[in-house]
Amino acid sequence: MRLPLIVLASALAVTGCAPDTGSPARAAERFHAAVTAGQTQAACAMLAPVTAEKLPDPGESCADALRALRFGPGGRVTEVSVWGEDAQVRLAGDTLFLHRFGDGWRIRAAGCTPVRDLPYDCEVED
Amino acid sequence: MVETVRWLRENSLSMAFLVLFLLSVGGQAVAGLHDYNDQQLAQGLTPISFLAYVTSSSYAVDVAENWQSEYLQFFLFIMLTVWLVQKGSPESKEPHAAGAETDERQQIGPYSDEDSPKWARVKGPRLWLFSNSLGLVMGTIFVLSWLAQSVAGQAAYNSERLIDLRDPVSWGSYVTSAEFWNRSLQNWQSEMLAVLSMVALSIYLRQRGSPESKPVGAAHTSTGVEG
Repeated sequence: MRLPLIVLASALAVTGCAPDTGSPARAAERFHAAVTAGQTQAACAMLAPVTAEKLPDPGESCADALRALRFGPGGRVTEVSVWGEDAQVRLAGDTLFLHRFGDGWRIRAAGCTPVRDLPYDCEVED
Repeated sequence: MVETVRWLRENSLSMAFLVLFLLSVGGQAVAGLHDYNDQQLAQGLTPISFLAYVTSSSYAVDVAENWQSEYLQFFLFIMLTVWLVQKGSPESKEPHAAGAETDERQQIGPYSDEDSPKWARVKGPRLWLFSNSLGLVMGTIFVLSWLAQSVAGQAAYNSERLIDLRDPVSWGSYVTSAEFWNRSLQNWQSEMLAVLSMVALSIYLRQRGSPESKPVGAAHTSTGVEG
């Protein structure tokens, strides 16, 4: 598990912090890899604009706010649902919601836990 | 040129409705795109192009849900008026003529003439098929439109659910959901009311020159007479 994480983190260092133009699953994995590797600045760059804007408290940066949340490892992808421009990616340790913007897939919500008959309760959301 | 003008005049009713349909469906696409993008922007999401919208599930479900209800309306109207009557309505047959009627009245088989369609002059499955072709085609378009509504509706509904941070649902769950039946029934109720209005109001009201109305001077009690 550690090797793919290192590969993803290295890929992040090479590709910078652009949103993923490929699949929502890869975007979700890259987000978690960045957070786990402590590259919260890069992870923030993968968030949807409204999500990144709402995340920090006044006077706090997005990267600091994301670091303070202490996300657990995302783990492997278990399920991906794509409907139109929106997607849900289930990882072994998290559920994320994404939207396809003009520049690629960005994370709208992460750290989500299901609530019966109601929207997911997410640590990070727009 | 003269031929074209004559052809247009002889088919003016179909042509007028074709043009009105194209203008309406195009207008729906433009208005729908603006409404869709307005909601996208309000949710902090990206607006989409005209092409992306007219190929989206959101546009498809809005079109299909209206189509299915219109074809259901005409299918039911065609089929129920075979057996059910409304005394005094030009939309109905005389009460004594209820049913599939005789071969003689329907001009089929030995009662057909040289101008009758080919399949009206034969017997067997082809005659049955042609005898029921209008209802079959309208009913088939209704079923296909309703199916298209369910498929496009599931996609549009799931997209909205993901935006609301909720799990998507299966097709089976969607076609038994309140969303699907609300979309269907809100269209059906208006179609049934429109037919009821047409059948009942045409007993007492007239539109001079329209074949959908009785002649202005026809008695309120006269049935199946078109002006």
